[in-house]
Amino acid sequence: MADAKPKILMKFEGMPDGHSLKTYTAHGGYTALKKAFGMTKEAIIDEVKQSGLRGRGGAGFPTGMKWSFVPKDMPGPKYLICNNDESEPGTFKDRHLCQVSPHMVIEGMIIGGFAIGASKGYIYTRWEFQGEIKVLEDAIKEAYAAGLLGKNILGSGFDFDLDHYSGAGAYICGEETGLISSLEGKKGQPKLKPPFPAVSGYLGRPTIVNNTETLANVPHIINAGAKEFRKYGTEKSPGTKLFSISGALNKPGVYEVPLGYSFEKFITDEAGGMMPGRSIKAVIPGGASAALFTPDDLKGLTMDYEAIAAKGSMLGSGAIMIIDDRQSMVEMLKSTVDFFSHESCGQCTPCREGTGWLANIMCGLTDRTGTAASVDKMGTVAKYMSGKTICALSEACAIPVISYVTKYGDELKAYLAKGG
Amino acid sequence: MGVIKVALPPNDTNLFTMAWGYLSTISSGMKKTLQIFFVQITGREKTNTLEWPEEPATYGERFKGKHFLTRREDGQVRCTACFLCATACPAQCIHIEAGEHPTNEVEKFPVRFEIDILRCVFCGFCEEACPVDAIRLGPEFAMVGGPGEKWVYTKDYLADRQELRGGVTSVKEENDKHFTTDKNPRGDDLIASDAPHMHSH
Amino acid sequence: MAEPTPTITFLMNDKELTVPKGMTVMEAAAKNGVYIPHFCWHPGLSIAGVCRFCMVKVEGRPKLEIACNLTPSPGMKVYTQIPEVKEAHKWALEFHLINHPLDCPICDQAGECKLQDFYMEVGKYKSQMERPKVLKPKALAIGDDLVLDTERCILCDRCVRFEGEVTKTGALGIFNRGDRAIVGTYPDRKITHNYQTNLVDICPVGAFTSKDFRFKQRVWFLKEQPAICPGCSTGCHVNVHGKPEVRTYFRVKPRESAVNGHWMCDKGRHTYKHLNQEVRLRFGIVSDGVKGSPRRRASFDEAIAALATKLASVDAAKDLALLVSPQYTNEEYKAFFEFFVKKLGVKKVFQWREPTEKIDEFDGLLYRGDHNPNTKGLSDALKAVGLSGDVKNGFGELAKGGNKLVIALAPEVAFQYPSLTAQLTSLSELDYVSLWTLNGDVFGMKGIAHAIPMKGYTEKKGTFLNYQGKVGELFAPFPSAVDDARDVTETVAALADVLTRAH
Repeated sequence: MADAKPKILMKFEGMPDGHSLKTYTAHGGYTALKKAFGMTKEAIIDEVKQSGLRGRGGAGFPTGMKWSFVPKDMPGPKYLICNNDESEPGTFKDRHLCQVSPHMVIEGMIIGGFAIGASKGYIYTRWEFQGEIKVLEDAIKEAYAAGLLGKNILGSGFDFDLDHYSGAGAYICGEETGLISSLEGKKGQPKLKPPFPAVSGYLGRPTIVNNTETLANVPHIINAGAKEFRKYGTEKSPGTKLFSISGALNKPGVYEVPLGYSFEKFITDEAGGMMPGRSIKAVIPGGASAALFTPDDLKGLTMDYEAIAAKGSMLGSGAIMIIDDRQSMVEMLKSTVDFFSHESCGQCTPCREGTGWLANIMCGLTDRTGTAASVDKMGTVAKYMSGKTICALSEACAIPVISYVTKYGDELKAYLAKGG
Repeated sequence: MGVIKVALPPNDTNLFTMAWGYLSTISSGMKKTLQIFFVQITGREKTNTLEWPEEPATYGERFKGKHFLTRREDGQVRCTACFLCATACPAQCIHIEAGEHPTNEVEKFPVRFEIDILRCVFCGFCEEACPVDAIRLGPEFAMVGGPGEKWVYTKDYLADRQELRGGVTSVKEENDKHFTTDKNPRGDDLIASDAPHMHSH
Repeated sequence: MAEPTPTITFLMNDKELTVPKGMTVMEAAAKNGVYIPHFCWHPGLSIAGVCRFCMVKVEGRPKLEIACNLTPSPGMKVYTQIPEVKEAHKWALEFHLINHPLDCPICDQAGECKLQDFYMEVGKYKSQMERPKVLKPKALAIGDDLVLDTERCILCDRCVRFEGEVTKTGALGIFNRGDRAIVGTYPDRKITHNYQTNLVDICPVGAFTSKDFRFKQRVWFLKEQPAICPGCSTGCHVNVHGKPEVRTYFRVKPRESAVNGHWMCDKGRHTYKHLNQEVRLRFGIVSDGVKGSPRRRASFDEAIAALATKLASVDAAKDLALLVSPQYTNEEYKAFFEFFVKKLGVKKVFQWREPTEKIDEFDGLLYRGDHNPNTKGLSDALKAVGLSGDVKNGFGELAKGGNKLVIALAPEVAFQYPSLTAQLTSLSELDYVSLWTLNGDVFGMKGIAHAIPMKGYTEKKGTFLNYQGKVGELFAPFPSAVDDARDVTETVAALADVLTRAH
C-alpha cells in the first residue's frame, strides 16, 4: 500500500480547465458538501477525528480535535480561516493546490464552517501569489454564482460567506495568531496564548485556522469516509500528502504520496534523482526551519511525522530541499539566518535580539572576521533563544542553526580558516 | 607614673674624654659641609636643590595634584556630566550642572563643572569613578594664591588653563559611542537608519 | 451560605499559596512577597508577555512558562529560583542588553533602571556581544514633555499599551520588525495630553525621559517622601522627590493607591515648583499699618508680634474678616477656626476661590475642575463652627469693605489660580491685610501690609478630603525649605501665645 500513488488532492492535476467549477462538479465535486448537510455537526467533526487527519501546515495537530475546541453554545459569530500564507522557504505545495483545484479548498471550507458553526470564512493568501489569488477569487465568484456560498446554501439553511484576503508577505503571518492579527488590520504579530484562537481569535471570536491542504482533504474524508482515508498513510499519519521538493534534481516539483512513503524512493523516483554529477550533501526535510539530515540519516527513512521526528527533525509543511555538494553551507546558513532575522516580528526579546545576533555573528563568518569560537557561540545563542517566545519563530531559527553547527560545524570553521 | 630616664650619664666621668667626643664629631661634620660647599660653589657638581618657585619643579606623571578635564578629539570637553565623580567625592567638592547639548550625538554635557579646591582632599576617587576618562589629577602641585584668588575651579579653567598648553585629549576608547557614525554596521539594506515618522528634536 | 470568590491553592517554591481564581502567578507572587523579575508586565496595564523575562518552572511542563500569563491550576508546582530559571533570566537579560547602548552616564534613568537592577540581581556576566550594535534614532522630542531614545528602548510595549488602554490616545506604536523595531509616534501625532509623564514612569529603562526633569539631578541624590498632590480635588497619592540639603524639590511621582491607581497627571507633577526656596517667601513682612507706609522684612516671631498688636486694636467680631483658600489641611482649618471664629468670635469668613474655575469638570481619568485639594475639608470645617460650607468665592463680599483687618490664607499652588495676581492686587488695596502665604511674589506687592511665610504641603502633617470625601494623609514631611516658614496650626498657636502673654 505504501507504494501506491493515489491521486486525491491532485485529482485534477493536468486536467484541462481543472480549476473550474464545471470540471469540479463533473467529477464529483460538491457531493461531499451535500452529504455533509445531511449529517450533524458532531458527526462531521467525529468523522474528521476518526480519519486522523493532521494539520498539513507544519505542526501536524489533529484537525478534528482542533475543530472540537470551538465552544458549541457560544452565541455570536465564529470564523474559519484558511491559512494559505505559504511562507516557509522551500514550500510551494499550497499554491500548486490552489492552481489545480481551488474548489476542493472552498468545499472543505464550507464543510468545516458548517461543522464548527462558522458563518464567515477567509482565505488568507500571501501577496506574492498573485496568480493563485486570481484563481481563488474567480473560484469564489463561481461558487457564489452557483449558490454554493452565501445565504441558505443548497437549501440547507446554512449561511456561509467566504472572502479572500491577501497579506503583505510576512513570514510570521503564517502563524495562526499572527495571521489573525494581520487579518484584523493590525501589525502581523502573534498573540499571547492562552486564550487560544479556538476560544478567542479573530475579533475576539472563536476562530479556527486551517492550512489549505488540510481543508482540501476534508471533502474526500466526508465523501469516502474515514476508513477510506486511512487506506493510505501510517497509523499515526494517515492519508496522502503533498510534498514540494527542490534542489539540483531532475524533476523538482510538487508530488502527492501517501505518508510513510520511502524518502530515498521519493528522491529517486518522484523527483527523478540528482542531476548528473551532483551528490547529496544535506537534506532539509521540512522547510528552512527544520533540522538538517545528512545523507546517512536518509537510509530507511519514511516520510511521516513520527519517523522524521524520531530522527530529530520535522516533516513540517513537507518542503524537501536537497543541498548538493556544490553548495556552501556558510551561504545556506547565512541566507537562513538572514531570513529569520528579517522576518522576526520583534515582539519577544529572545527572538528579536537572538535572530539579529545570529545574523550579526553570521556577518562575521562570511567576512571572515569571526573566529571558531563564534561558530560555537551561534549554537549557544540558538539554544537559549529557543523555547522562550510566544510563537515558534525563535525555534524556527534556532533549530537549523543548531543543526548546521553540530553537523556541519567543521565546514563553517574551515571556511573561516581559508582566510580573506 | 615617674620620670623615665632615656639616657644614662656616662660612667666615665673624665671631662676630657667626653669633650673630645663632641669636638671630633663637630669637626668631621664641618669638614664634609665645607667639602660640599666648595665642590658646589666652584660648579664641579650640580646641586639637587631647586630655586623654586623661580625654577620649575615637576612631580612624576602619576602624582595626584591639580585636576584637569580632558577633551575629545573634536576639542569638546569629554565630561558627560554623569555625576559619578560628584557621587564618589568624599569631600563633596565637585559641583556639576548638566545641560542639553545642541548636537544629539552628545546629548548631555556639563554647563558648569566646578571643584572647590579648598575642600578637595586629592584622593583621586573622581578619576577612578569617571567612566569616560574625563577627569584626571595632574602632576601640578602648586596651588598658591592670595586671599583674592578664586578657589573654585571652573570648567574652563579645568579644561584649558595655561599649564595644560591647549588641553589634554583623551583617546581612551577607540570605539567611542559618540564617534560612531556608521548607522548600519551590519550592511543590511533593510535597516532603516531613521524612522519615517519621527519628529526631529 | 454564599461562597466568597473561588480560590485556588498551588505551590510556589514549595510554599502553599491560596489565591483567588483567575489570578496570575505574577500577581500571586507579588502579593506574597516573591519577586519575579519582569519588564513588560505592569499591574496597571494588560498582559503583553513580550519581554520573556518572568520565566518560571512549572513541574511537569517541558518548557519554562512566563509568570505574567500563567494562571495556576490547583496543586500546580511553580519554581522561581531553581538554576534552570536563573539561567533563563541571565540569558533574557543578555538578550535585552546586546543592543542596548549602555549610555548610563548620560541617562536619567540610571539609578532606577530595571536593566541595572536586574544586572546586579541576575546578571553580573561579561557581555558576549562582540559585534557592532544596532543603532537607532536618539533624543527625539515626541511629546511636550517627552524625549524618546529608541536605542535604549527594550520594546517592552508598556508605553504603547498605556497610550492605547489608559489615555486611549493611541499615539504610539512599534514600527519595523526584528531588531530594527523602534517605538515611535504615528505621523503628526505628537503626544500632548496631560498624562504623558506617566510614560516616563512606566518605562523600565531610560527610553522616555521627562524634559522637566531631564539632566537636572541624578536620582540617587534625591530623597523621596510620600504626600498628597494638591493640584486638584482628586488628591492623588504621590511621592515627592527633593534634595533637602539644597532646599530644592525636583519631581513628583505617583504612588499606587485606590484613589489614583498607578497614574497621575502632568499638572500635578508641577506642584513641586512653588516649593523651592528661590521662589518662596523666606521671611515675614511687617509695616506700621498705615496705608503706604514702608514695609520691612521680619522674622516669624516679629511678624506674629506685629499681627498680635494689630489684632488687639480691632474688634474681631466687627472689623476682622477671614479669607480662606481650600488648599490647607483639615487640622489647620480646625485650629484656625477654633481660634478666630470660636475664641475671637469672627463673623465674616469668606472663601478664596479662583473665579474662572469650572468646578464640575472632569477629564475622565484623574484631573478635576476643582483645582483645590481640600474643598470638602474647608466646607466641613466651616460647618463645624456653625458657618455656611457652600462653595463661593468671597472676593465680592470682601470688596464691600468695612474690614479693618483681613487675614488671608493664600492658595499654595499658584499656577492653578490664573487670577491670582489680580486677586492679590485687590487684596493689597485693602486697609490692612495679613497674608499667610508661601508665594515669594508678594514681597513685590507694595500694598501687602503684613505677611507670614507658610509651609508647603510637603513640609507639614495633616489630611485632605478629596472630592469623594476620602482622606488623604500627609504624614512624612520634608524639612522646610524656608527656615521661618510655619504651618497654620503653628502660626495660630504662636499668635494665641503672644496674645495671652500680652493680657
